[in-house]
Amino acid sequence: MFADLGFYLLFMCFVLSVYGTISAFFAARTRQIRLYRSSKYAATASTGFCIVAALLLFYMLFSRDYSVMYIFKNSSNDLPWNYTFASFWSALEGSHFLWLLLLSIFSTMALWTSSKNNEHIMPWVSLTLQAVLSWMYYLAISYSDPFVKNFPLPPDGVGMNALLQNPYMAFHPPTLFIGYTTLTIPFAYAVAALCYGDITEGWLKSVRRWTLFGWTALTVGIILGGRWAYVELGWSGYWAWDPVENSSFMPWIFATCLLHSLLVQEKIGHLKRLSVVLAFLSFFFCFFGTFITRSGVISSVHSFAQSSIGPNYLAYLASLLGGMTILYAVRAPTLLPPDTDKAWGVSKESALMLTQFLLGTFGLIIFIGTMYPIVSEMFTGARFNVQAPYFNTFAPWIGLLLVAAIAVGNLLRWKTGKFLGGSKVLIHSIYWSLPVSLLFCYYGRVFESSGFRLGIQVVGVSMTFWAAFCLTADLSQRLKSLKGSFRLLWQRNRSYLGAYLAHIGFLVAMLGFLGNYRGVETVKTLKTGETTQLYGYEFKYEGFNVLQDQNATLYGGVLSLTKDGKPMGTVMAARSKYPTKPELLHEVGLLTRFWHDVYVVLPDFDKATRGETATFHITINPTVRLVWISCVIMALGGLIALLDRNRGLNTKDHLEAVE
Amino acid sequence: MIKLAMVISLFFMSHFGLSSALEEDLTPDQRIQFREISKDLRCPTCTGLSILESDAQFSIQMKTAVKEQVLAGKNKTEIMSFFTERYGLWILREPPKKGFHLIAWALPLSAMILGPFLLWFFVWRKRIAAKAKAIRPTKEILSELDRLVDKEKAGI
Repeated sequence: MFADLGFYLLFMCFVLSVYGTISAFFAARTRQIRLYRSSKYAATASTGFCIVAALLLFYMLFSRDYSVMYIFKNSSNDLPWNYTFASFWSALEGSHFLWLLLLSIFSTMALWTSSKNNEHIMPWVSLTLQAVLSWMYYLAISYSDPFVKNFPLPPDGVGMNALLQNPYMAFHPPTLFIGYTTLTIPFAYAVAALCYGDITEGWLKSVRRWTLFGWTALTVGIILGGRWAYVELGWSGYWAWDPVENSSFMPWIFATCLLHSLLVQEKIGHLKRLSVVLAFLSFFFCFFGTFITRSGVISSVHSFAQSSIGPNYLAYLASLLGGMTILYAVRAPTLLPPDTDKAWGVSKESALMLTQFLLGTFGLIIFIGTMYPIVSEMFTGARFNVQAPYFNTFAPWIGLLLVAAIAVGNLLRWKTGKFLGGSKVLIHSIYWSLPVSLLFCYYGRVFESSGFRLGIQVVGVSMTFWAAFCLTADLSQRLKSLKGSFRLLWQRNRSYLGAYLAHIGFLVAMLGFLGNYRGVETVKTLKTGETTQLYGYEFKYEGFNVLQDQNATLYGGVLSLTKDGKPMGTVMAARSKYPTKPELLHEVGLLTRFWHDVYVVLPDFDKATRGETATFHITINPTVRLVWISCVIMALGGLIALLDRNRGLNTKDHLEAVE
Repeated sequence: MIKLAMVISLFFMSHFGLSSALEEDLTPDQRIQFREISKDLRCPTCTGLSILESDAQFSIQMKTAVKEQVLAGKNKTEIMSFFTERYGLWILREPPKKGFHLIAWALPLSAMILGPFLLWFFVWRKRIAAKAKAIRPTKEILSELDRLVDKEKAGI
């Protein structure tokens, strides 16, 4: 019965959002505020219904109601509460539903919290948001209906995908989806600006705020996904340039571009059209990513959800692309740059433009690599899946250029080639960075790698530290101009502080990636009591263990670690077996230290003697921790920048209008 | 119960072979060569992994083949062509730099090289175009309007 109610609610949501779209259109054309309000209320009501429907699904999940097909297929009696909760989004219908729910909630929030200055364009914003919503509601009641019934009633479910029975799965998808869905709002504002024919006064502030929020969520979501891969898949890496990983990275790239072009727009009034295009691209690539995951067009480790939804998505994406191109072609000339003045010489705006170019090129490369299987099949008849080496050929160069652009770009000032402190800052930062880089390379044991890798690591590390010192020099110049009062800087320019932290976070991530360039590993088969050495550690095989962890049974080999005679504790590398699934999964044994992780996987053990001998795959992963730390720093930066209330109010255009 | 579960799982586990000691009898140079080659070969049964990173049965067989050829003194090109002859280009992890596949390399490279020029051209053109389209400072327009109004007045 609840399933019927849930379906009914989703159907009502669909009807409401179609009404909301149409009423918003007429509100925009006839300039009737009451029609717009009606559209807004429709969005609010559909959000309410959607929340109730989601709660129903949660209720049925927890009451193990296998009369619902989705619950039957994706959960089972043995699931503990945390995975029961996460099984909501562990397959196509549910994750689509989660997306829908979040999009609905954030759209309504965007409509209710809109600035008074944006009044003129809000009908268009509402129209765009609800048009996207109605398409998604349509899918939820047709191709990906989470409330399909199952009869006769089975006693137990098929079970949740075992790879997803991991604590990170409770956080990774919702965070990522918050990022995806909030990037719809800048897109809606972009469409509104084109339809209305001008950038209204509050436009920049709203777009900046939502983009920043989406960017922060996306950053955290992507890195959480990497962390999941690191502890779950057992291949000692966190990023494999897999199509699904790429498709979460592409919106991130374009959202980052958008943030920077909004900055130029605010300060000197240029790049309005670029902002519109970037807002569209970051939105478009969110859906493009889902299309890749859902349709099974491209094979990936993360394709947990495949269905016949593909052609529908393709039609949607094609019409989005077509519609937006036409709209842009017709309406873009209405978005005018401000009065010309001295710009685009050697200056901050040019540096930002160059950053856009670097990020854009990187986006293009990732797009080519991701789509290559389809393209090569079309032209050569054979499908060619591009994997990590291709991306890794380009990534270091783009990364180093970005680091340089961060250093110089942050020091430069608007419309002038001069910067505070002059070239002295650039050179002094080199002096500062040298000893620090040496220390980093020494403790990170960078000098143990060889050839090209050694070169790129040493150069990369020194450049990254140089950039960090340049940024810090700029911060101290700002502080000096406020007579060293950090409190004043906090009060007046939180967005600057946020940007500083976000950039530092990015540099920390770069250090992590650079250190990661090299790993030391060994595969050893040990008898109980035997020892092996790696990287100064001594590993002693203490014996085999069978444990029960929630619903999983772990078969694990316990290793005790000593370094220079000092005991460092024990790690257990195990294989886990879930009651409903045949395959054995990896439970990684992890000893995390500041400079490196000791990462132990159990590929095999002797079954006849119950683990008398076992094979261990031991990897030393340097500087992985920096990647996780960078996530926290970048997210903190994003949040602090969000707290800035002044940003976006005094844009160049408005200042001129006031004059 | 646990015993039963263990027996069942052992059955399913049997497709994981022992991959140890593959590299042990290689000299340091050969080991580097072995790793260089196996990291560029696709694991046919996994998604997104090289045979170096994978402990699947198929990868271990391939790694053994790589090792034998490394020991026989073959170089990387010879070993790679050994595999591409048997499995097709598909076994590689990045597009080969010939034929149609060249496009996957040419496009990003040309974007990286031509990009700055295009950027310079467009931004530069924008500065010129702005002047050509007579988008002038508001003050200038206002003063011109003032002049026009004065002219009209004088005419009357």
